[in-house]
Amino acid sequence: MRRGRTRSECGRVPARYARAVTWLPETGPGRDEFERVFALRPNLFDAWREFASIFWEKRLVDPVILELCRLRIAQLHAARHPLSTRMREAREAGLDEAKIAALAEWWRHPGFSDLERACLRFAEQFVMDAKAMSDDEARPVVEGLGDAGTVAFVEALALFDGFGRFGRMLDVAPVEGET
Amino acid sequence: MSAPRVKPPQRGGSDPISASVLGHQPEALLAFMKLYGTLWSHGILDQSTKEMARIRNARTLDCGI
Repeated sequence: MRRGRTRSECGRVPARYARAVTWLPETGPGRDEFERVFALRPNLFDAWREFASIFWEKRLVDPVILELCRLRIAQLHAARHPLSTRMREAREAGLDEAKIAALAEWWRHPGFSDLERACLRFAEQFVMDAKAMSDDEARPVVEGLGDAGTVAFVEALALFDGFGRFGRMLDVAPVEGET
Repeated sequence: MSAPRVKPPQRGGSDPISASVLGHQPEALLAFMKLYGTLWSHGILDQSTKEMARIRNARTLDCGI
């Protein structure tokens, strides 16, 4: 059963992200390179998919906030694969490509809500230096998402960060073409 | 030391993990434990290498857990 990630609907992958495939000498079966790399450890991949899909399927956090933070973290890692995918749940909740295009300089654009800004600031600090996270940065996130939502949000950030690094370190290629 | 930013759930319990803030999201916790258990108990990488990386990562982040 297919769970978790959904493929990009944004058209062809930008040239800056589309180049060689992973340097791993072998891969397993899969529809894209992330799946083919992770298929080398199928039991781990199954458990990962089950965990990763919960945040979207159960709506533990607003999918637009999750998707903005997922993509922003991928930008920070220059991780080609997550940058080339889009989550259906976020699109259905109203996130469009124009807003995603503004994400690299979200602080300059008025189209982001106060809570989205707080979450993006928190996500960036999480990736760059979690030890330096201040109460002032955390407070608006906890107030906006609540205790349970904050726990889910931080868990999701850990996934996005960890698997952004995973894709970057293994040089996982983006999803290509119309999907 | 500053106060915790999120308090553990009221229901508590004897298990220290589910009684922690992670208990706010029981389904996510269950799925995470399955993933983590697979990583530690059904992997092909030797345990000492994984433990060394885990401890090194915790030290880098100054994570007392």
